Amino acid sequence: MAYYAIKGGEEAIKNSLNFYNDYTKRSEKIDDEDLIESLTFSIDKVMSEGSLYSKKLASKSIKRSAGDLLNASFFVRAHRSSCQRIGICKELDVNDMRLSRRISSAFKDIEGGQLLGASNDYEIKLLVDLKNEKVDIKEYSNKDNVIDSALTPLRNDNLIKILPKEEEPWDITRVFPTSPYPRSSVLQVMSRGESGTLLGFAYTSMRGYGDVHPTIGDLRIGELDIKFTHPFTKKEVKIGSIEATAVESAGTFNKDENGDTKLTTGFGFCFGKNETKAISMSIIDLSLYNNSYTVGTEQIVASDFEMVMHHVDGIESFGFANHYKLPHYVTFQTDYQIFKSAKKYVEEQNQKDLNGALK
Amino acid sequence: MRYAFLDEEAKKEIRRSILKAIAIPGYIVSFASREMPVARGWGTGGLQVTLSIINEKDTLKVIDQGCDGSVNAVNIRNFISSVTNVDTTTDTKKATLIQTRHRIPEIDLEEGQILVYQVPMPDILETVEPNTAKAKIMHANADYSKLWVLLYEDTSMYGDSRISNRYPVIVHDRYAMDPSPIPKYDTPKLNNNKALQLFGAGREKKIYAVPPYTKVEPLKFEDRKFKIENFEDKSCQRCGSRDSFLDEVYDDNGITHYYCNDTDYCDSYLKNGAKK
Repeated sequence: MAYYAIKGGEEAIKNSLNFYNDYTKRSEKIDDEDLIESLTFSIDKVMSEGSLYSKKLASKSIKRSAGDLLNASFFVRAHRSSCQRIGICKELDVNDMRLSRRISSAFKDIEGGQLLGASNDYEIKLLVDLKNEKVDIKEYSNKDNVIDSALTPLRNDNLIKILPKEEEPWDITRVFPTSPYPRSSVLQVMSRGESGTLLGFAYTSMRGYGDVHPTIGDLRIGELDIKFTHPFTKKEVKIGSIEATAVESAGTFNKDENGDTKLTTGFGFCFGKNETKAISMSIIDLSLYNNSYTVGTEQIVASDFEMVMHHVDGIESFGFANHYKLPHYVTFQTDYQIFKSAKKYVEEQNQKDLNGALK
Repeated sequence: MRYAFLDEEAKKEIRRSILKAIAIPGYIVSFASREMPVARGWGTGGLQVTLSIINEKDTLKVIDQGCDGSVNAVNIRNFISSVTNVDTTTDTKKATLIQTRHRIPEIDLEEGQILVYQVPMPDILETVEPNTAKAKIMHANADYSKLWVLLYEDTSMYGDSRISNRYPVIVHDRYAMDPSPIPKYDTPKLNNNKALQLFGAGREKKIYAVPPYTKVEPLKFEDRKFKIENFEDKSCQRCGSRDSFLDEVYDDNGITHYYCNDTDYCDSYLKNGAKK
């Protein structure tokens, strides 16, 4: 009888889980290193959205979720909650990055030059085997490329609008702010945000709800050293390095609080190689802080702090969308009762009106 | 795995938020909200509240839609007992800590018991004002005019509010509160309850509370009665009770059957008869 069916949860869960494990178990055969070296963009997406820098854990989570990257990020994020924080590293400066790729579309010629690095941007996307020309990549220089952002000269000339510096950066993992949201918290939310959502929000701006056709001043991928104050010696020590993507985009000009005309910029930063995400983030940052230059309607998604702060997290939106799979028979039962009595009320009213009209 | 999963710093932050919430009944307190091994929207707020206050002496009960045996309840109970050493029960009377989704147990709660709600939408003003910044100002001013207008419009068009569950309540004559998606049937039980009621919304990062013996009233016009779900002449086909919230169940022949939604109540009614 149906009544007993809803009570069989325990066994049903177990069976479902066993079935799933059987269904996806071949993914366990993939070697972590192979996965990290081959599906590197998946790894980086999971690290970025899972907000934990560990290629190994990202690889394990991709296998556990059989390639469902949102689910994989969720595995990483949940694991993160069980990790004790040992401290806070020194501030990172993206100008210190050892670059593996760096492009600027704002300037024809930039100090340090364009550095294409590894990219398939200019590949013809067809699923046919292309003849790869033998290239001896050993010929390429492996010197550390440390070059300032292409917008640095403009910043040095005081042409770029600079937002006020926060005394102490906010930490959204310890306290979640209420409006007005500090910029550090907005950037953190976006940095962990879901790539597709950020792209969607940024695209609304690109398409006209915000009048932003930004120019990429500097897009860079590279390694950053993580430095820490040693707890005993109190000296600065390097404890490792991370790969990250950073983007500075330039928008229109605007008057700053002193009445000076300044060029506006937006910033995007995330773990790993995530160019589309970092570009999108920089555009949203640009739109948020310069919405007086927007066109369209009053409500512009990419300039709305509430929209960005509460909607870009993939783990949260994905979890909630999936919660619709949970039983809802109590709420539906009450909906149904209300619906029936409202329907009855409307019909009675209509009948009354009809009777009144006939009289 | 550490006791109760969360690290001590997280638990401390959550307990502080809970204390603030108890001190200002119905007021929404913001907290960081850790990611749990259970998906957002599946009870992570309730879980964090439960894990922050649970200790060895507790006896835990978890219900979802009135049932101890439904998949989400089982899953959450298994998780909590795997990271703690507490005893679990399905008996409402034996439980010191009850985590619930969408129901208040049929049997009256007692002093010393804590009822933790899983909350999807913590702010009732969301139904009329989705912008949280604006809603916060409206709460500060106790400006609930938009809710009253909604109630008025619904009443004029449909004879009553269209809100079926998570019906707005006013706590301690001050804050309008979302009571989590409980049916209207359960709304009167919020009032003057002997148990401490805690509400956790993980995805929305909010905690709020109703302390024991606190006045909680549905938002209602003076000349309109608050109507709860009505099962008329129906009774539970299993235990025969006429005083509980019933589930409609269709069998293979399309015939409707009625059973107690609160499965523990159904069992105890079979054994001991009506609720006290």
